[in-house]
Amino acid sequence: MTTTGQASYFDGVTSARHDVTVTLGVSALQIHSTDGRLLAEWPYSELEAIPAPNGLMRIGRIDNAVLARLDVRDAKLAAAIDDLSIPIDRSGRTERRSRRKVVFWSLAATLSLLLVAIFGVPEIASRLTPLVPYAAEIKLGAAVDAQVRNALDKNHAGARFVCGTDAAESAGRAAFDKMFARLEQAAGQPIPLRIAVVRSEEANAVTLPGGIIYMFHGLIDKAESAEEVAGVIAHELGHVAHRDGTRTVLQHGAMSLLFGMLLGDFVGGGAVIVAAKTILQTSYSRDVEAAADAYAVDLMKAVEADPRALGSILTRIAGSSHTPLKFLLDHPETKDRVTAINSRAGSRPIKPLLEPSEWTDMRRICSGPRG
Amino acid sequence: MSTLDAAVPAAQPSLAARFRLPTGPIQFLGFDRDYWRIWIRGSVLLAVTLGIYRFWLTTDTRQFLWSNTEVLGEPLEYTGTARELLIGFLIAVAILIPFYALLFLLALSVDQLRELAGLVGFVLATVLGHFAVYRARRYRLTRTVFRGVRFHQTGSAWLYAVQAVLWWILVILTLGLAYPIAQSRLERFKMRNTWLGNLQGRFEGSAASLFVRGLFMWLVVAGPLTASLVAIGAALDMAALQQLAESSSEEAFTRFIESRPDLSSAFGFAVGAVTWAILVGTLLYPVFQAMVMRWWVAGLRFGEMAASSTLRTGEVYACYLRYIGWSIVFSTIGTFAVLILIAAIASLLWGTGLLQNQWLANAGEMLVAIAAVALYVIFALGYAVIYQVKVRLGLWRALANSAGLSNPAALESISSVGAPASAVGEGLADALNVGGF
Repeated sequence: MTTTGQASYFDGVTSARHDVTVTLGVSALQIHSTDGRLLAEWPYSELEAIPAPNGLMRIGRIDNAVLARLDVRDAKLAAAIDDLSIPIDRSGRTERRSRRKVVFWSLAATLSLLLVAIFGVPEIASRLTPLVPYAAEIKLGAAVDAQVRNALDKNHAGARFVCGTDAAESAGRAAFDKMFARLEQAAGQPIPLRIAVVRSEEANAVTLPGGIIYMFHGLIDKAESAEEVAGVIAHELGHVAHRDGTRTVLQHGAMSLLFGMLLGDFVGGGAVIVAAKTILQTSYSRDVEAAADAYAVDLMKAVEADPRALGSILTRIAGSSHTPLKFLLDHPETKDRVTAINSRAGSRPIKPLLEPSEWTDMRRICSGPRG
Repeated sequence: MSTLDAAVPAAQPSLAARFRLPTGPIQFLGFDRDYWRIWIRGSVLLAVTLGIYRFWLTTDTRQFLWSNTEVLGEPLEYTGTARELLIGFLIAVAILIPFYALLFLLALSVDQLRELAGLVGFVLATVLGHFAVYRARRYRLTRTVFRGVRFHQTGSAWLYAVQAVLWWILVILTLGLAYPIAQSRLERFKMRNTWLGNLQGRFEGSAASLFVRGLFMWLVVAGPLTASLVAIGAALDMAALQQLAESSSEEAFTRFIESRPDLSSAFGFAVGAVTWAILVGTLLYPVFQAMVMRWWVAGLRFGEMAASSTLRTGEVYACYLRYIGWSIVFSTIGTFAVLILIAAIASLLWGTGLLQNQWLANAGEMLVAIAAVALYVIFALGYAVIYQVKVRLGLWRALANSAGLSNPAALESISSVGAPASAVGEGLADALNVGGF
């Protein structure tokens, strides 16, 4: 076995290269300069291999503040040092074991994170929501409102975005307000509600925190009776009563924290995180929508209107829009929802909410000059 | 390498010629194969650990690049560890969470701030981003060792961040014309504060020379855009503009445009100019990159030692073309594999009539969504790996092998100074997504 050989030595104090002779002693390797001075003596138990190109073995001392280095290019000498050294891990077994530990615990962390995201976050958000004071919810609503208005108002019509302000629309506005007043009274919410019909072709309605409801006129166009519009409003009032907007904000916050901050962005786009969030939030929203439907049915019964109207407008909207990946939509499967609505509706006597002429007026709530 | 040299010294020149081994003072000796392995394994682990593995991948990548780069026959050394990066990241998160919470609270409680909160947040994040970039550079330098001597960095990161933000505002306002002066000033600041032991660095690349070299390209790419902006400015009628600002509806906007036919043609010209700038800018980007890299390397100084670069533009193009070629092959094979897999699963489901099962049909939607996300991850990571090997490693190698050093004797008598810096900067850069290498 080789016991001596040539190498380069850097003492970690200056950048000068020393040509040295390495002698392999009993418990340590000795580094001698060409004139025979002992420059350093490194015990085999304190050697550390440092990454280097093929054909070069670079050694340092473990936990040494001074960056002294020994560069061995003599393959036989390198092999001999490798055999004698205790910590040097040329086969990489120690390194692999520590990597495996990292991978295992990362997987465990991922799993627990996913479990928290799926089960913990909705639970925590549901528990926290009732604790949020209404004053804070109203402020939150105002902040969200500014952004939502901006996003919905695609033509930048400004004030004209809201229907019912023009003289030609006032009759429609009166009919709509009359209907809404009945629902609002029956709902008896602790915060003042704000509803607006807005110029958007989409057949939809949204509820923000703080009792703000936007009804898109596309939905009124699709409706065949005042009760269908009322059913949708009652559904949105369900979201207000359950404070779903606030809960969504809390959930979004928690999810952004979990997925965005802690995990970071590893492919550059963050699209995975968005997709994961969408899927998880969709699964939350199924229960939320079902609860709002149930609330809507009860509210419609309370004002003695037809609770089944919500089901019929849902069916009509679902029939006209076609999406292959219905799972990714916000609302659970329409058929199941309609079944649930009808079974809860029962068979109480019902009365029309509005006169036929009022319904005709309401349909023209957005008929004024287009903004 | 050197064991081989010692055994057959006579064969060395012909071997070097045959494999086009680098012969300059800086040589990159790493093989693509090893880098492929680091990144393929790393990206699989990234996916299954939702990104937590990135600290280890970053460390492996740097270790590979540093330790295979030989300067005057001695490889560089990277002494950073993944554990340091992880801790730095956790500290950064601890700093940033209250910062975000504060911004959110401000937006909620102060009405006037609500509109401003987005802007304030953006500005703070930009300054903090540059701060992080500078501190991260400090971490990397203090983990870079050459001949047993550590690099280090002095200078205030806040000062750098403020300067960087101001220079970048100027670059944007001048449509890129100020880029050479901004880049040379910032590089001067960085290099003046960069030390190898007790040897101070500096940067001598002149803004004027980069400006002159890049001016023609700027005229080709951004010239039409500038002309169209000037045309819009000339056609603008201040009174009509005020009217527009007051009414702010679509109708008023249309009326405003129609009232000035020269303005609508100027807008049309601007749309064309933007398209042109994006298209030609993309095609010429490698030329720009090669030009800036050559200028940057040639401006680097350490004491008496000066660097130079013979990087060819063709080499940079070659890196990108290889990336595109590999990506096309990967996309084709990947798409076929996915189609075959889908066909197999579909025939299995229909063949066995499993689709009749209501529960399975519901779960199926979930599975389709999960499969879509998985596919996205696989493809995105695939392109990222190809990019790493073909572009990043390719450029690193080309840059190293084309570099020259004059007065290398300055590197012989450096004394060790400086201590390792914390990785908080790296963590901030990571959390804010402004990381470099």
